Amino acid sequence: MAVAEIKKLDLYLHKSVREEVLGVLQRVGCCEIIPRPADAPQDAPMTNERLQEIDGKISEIRFLLRFLEPHYVDPVSSLDRSLGEKPIFSMTELSRVAEKTNIEDFSAKMHAYEARLLAVRSEISQIDGKLLLLDKFQDFPYTMDLLSSGTERVCGLSGTLPTNNLQGWKNGIEAKLGKESEVFVSSFGEKDAEVWVTLLYAREREADAFDVSSKYSLSRVEIPNDLNLSPSEEVSALESRKVALKAEEASIMHIVRKEAESWVPVIRSLSDYFSSLRKRYEVLDDGIFTDQTLAFQSWIPSRSVDALKKGLLPYQKNIEIVLSDPEKEEIPPTLLQNANWSHPYETLTKLYGVPVYGELDPTSLMAPFFFIYFGMCLGDAGYALVMIAALTYFMRKYKRMPDSVRQFMRLIMGAAVSTLIYGALTGSWFGDLADSYEFLGFFRPIKNMFFVIDPMQKPMVILGISLAFGIVHLSFGLFISFYDCIRKKDYVAAFGDKGAWITMLAGILLLAGGASGALPGAFSTLGKWMAIVGAVVVFVYQGRGKSGIMAKFFSGVLALYGSTSYLGDVLSYSRLLALGLASAAVGVIINMLGNLSSDIPYVGWLIGIMVVLVGHTFGMAVNILGAFVHSLRLQYVEFFSKFYSGGGKFFAPLTYSSQYVDITEASAKK
Amino acid sequence: MEQYLGIMLAVLGAALAAGWAGAGSAIGVGIAGESGAGVMTEDPGKFGLVLLLQALPGTQGIYGLMTAFLVLLKVGLLGGTPLAVGIWQGLGIMFACLPVAIAQYFSAIAQGKTSAACIQMIAKRPEETGKAVILPAMVETYAVLALLTSIILLNSIKL
Repeated sequence: MAVAEIKKLDLYLHKSVREEVLGVLQRVGCCEIIPRPADAPQDAPMTNERLQEIDGKISEIRFLLRFLEPHYVDPVSSLDRSLGEKPIFSMTELSRVAEKTNIEDFSAKMHAYEARLLAVRSEISQIDGKLLLLDKFQDFPYTMDLLSSGTERVCGLSGTLPTNNLQGWKNGIEAKLGKESEVFVSSFGEKDAEVWVTLLYAREREADAFDVSSKYSLSRVEIPNDLNLSPSEEVSALESRKVALKAEEASIMHIVRKEAESWVPVIRSLSDYFSSLRKRYEVLDDGIFTDQTLAFQSWIPSRSVDALKKGLLPYQKNIEIVLSDPEKEEIPPTLLQNANWSHPYETLTKLYGVPVYGELDPTSLMAPFFFIYFGMCLGDAGYALVMIAALTYFMRKYKRMPDSVRQFMRLIMGAAVSTLIYGALTGSWFGDLADSYEFLGFFRPIKNMFFVIDPMQKPMVILGISLAFGIVHLSFGLFISFYDCIRKKDYVAAFGDKGAWITMLAGILLLAGGASGALPGAFSTLGKWMAIVGAVVVFVYQGRGKSGIMAKFFSGVLALYGSTSYLGDVLSYSRLLALGLASAAVGVIINMLGNLSSDIPYVGWLIGIMVVLVGHTFGMAVNILGAFVHSLRLQYVEFFSKFYSGGGKFFAPLTYSSQYVDITEASAKK
Repeated sequence: MEQYLGIMLAVLGAALAAGWAGAGSAIGVGIAGESGAGVMTEDPGKFGLVLLLQALPGTQGIYGLMTAFLVLLKVGLLGGTPLAVGIWQGLGIMFACLPVAIAQYFSAIAQGKTSAACIQMIAKRPEETGKAVILPAMVETYAVLALLTSIILLNSIKL
């Protein structure tokens, strides 16, 4: 239940063993290298040629994956992969693969294929454009060069004309050019807004032709110069060229698919290999060099020190390790360390932001509350059973899940158990499924065995419970901040601020309890005095830093006004009732719809089953999301605001990168 | 006519709740969807995350539907004989639906805008999905509170 203790590690080593030692650091995976201070002295400027070489390989690998992966049929789905179904390699095996693979050659070959594919595809699209154009010239009796370049005396223009202007344009041409022109109109439908026209004219009358055409807003289309033959000849030439190009494209694609099949797995493993190496050599930038030696600083959790020392044993002649506690002004990264039961809840702490080193870790403090709240928000035992079944299936099927995924699944599993309990107590199993269908009657005794209270009938009771949870949760938060101040020996803040608030709020609660008759009258008097004392202390404490009576007075009043926020905070817990009711009511509605639709003759039973299945799946998805988000919000907004602010930096040690393969110390294939 | 007015007021309440809440959710989900489509033109792989965020303003519609059903159940219009609802009881039921009708409509739109902004956020920082889900949920608080108010009010009207 805490933030793990972190030590500072000074590592001095002879440069002859630097690669091996860095390899060990990466393998053990417990050191976060501290970046070299910008002003640190650097005797021998480091040359990192190896890094450049690796960068070259990585950029080739990126190209290859981008080019080949779309054509690769992955036998492992990406879901499976993210759940840990990756091939296992050791670094030695990967380095052997890297040695015998000539990435550059293969990449050059693929670059050539890619360039050729691009050229082929762009030519095909050009041909398609020309074919589209030639389609307009089906009835054109001359060769195309008349339009593209023209002869000495005759030339032409072609383009689209608004259909309404067609007659006017024709008349205009007839009037101006008469026998020195010839007009072709391609066939068009009645509803076409534009029509394709071609005009041939004597070259010296060009100005007139343009004049008339622009008057009737003809938009001219250039005919490409390489169209010379008659339209039908051009079309058949282009078609046969296109067939040839398509064949070439297909054959290249066939090769690419073949290559992808055999190469993608190799390239993926190399991608992880070189990325891991890159991380390792990048560290060299953070070291301080002298002629013969190299020095690093890094953070290491004290529990991992022994593992590292053991790993470095073979090099002990050439290295020197100095361990020390972090200095006051240094802020080490945060590594959470929790007992097994609250370990899954670390996910939630990380989501908010980890604590600064040395601060409290809220993980196990919030874990029980999250557990209960999720159950109350979802509150349906049937949904819980489905969740438990699905999670059990996944956790059994995928043995090598990444730790973060496994912890998240355990978190949801816990939440499902809580939901099962609360759902059973409130008698909600897929809404009121057992009560709304006669044939499920056998389940009713089981349901009634656990049944305690129906929130639909007695919402006020559950509301009371929800608000009580709120009061407990908030007071717990206040007590933690009180304890935290004591721990840091900040007694003034502990008693003047936190303690006073606790006294005042407890007093108000007692007062309210006494006034409403729930508690004996004596408590009422006690509560009154506690509230007054607490308020006075808060008032005085908040004003102490201010100069001048008015400033003191107003800051005190303002602080007391802050007590209204506690009212809002407590009321916020009413969502526990509302969301629980919502999922139960949605369940009831779905069952009712199912019942209604089963009255349809003949197919009613089928529709009814569909409605119930789809409806409950939908309801489950929406309500799980809602329950998660809202029980999380109660932690983040209401609870954390009392004592916790996050703001730490998560411990990120030097490790292997394993996007596609799992890199382990020893090979699994021995 | 008077014996029907009560029950019809209740029906009006149910209609307002489902109608306004549904309209709000439609707008909210729409706003988020527009933003999501923009992000997916860059990276179609974000479909799952975007869908999750787009779905968030959809809950208001469900709350509205739920309230409508609760009203119909209460006055016996669903699977049963309609109860006798007086004019004042009918008015009460209608008023009880107003928190849902109003708050769901506006909160769904506001939540849609927040979701849209959060979709933009995960476009740049997919690792912050957790936080991106929390921000729209802050808006939903008030939808939940309104739902709660309506349920309590409905519950307190005795037929």
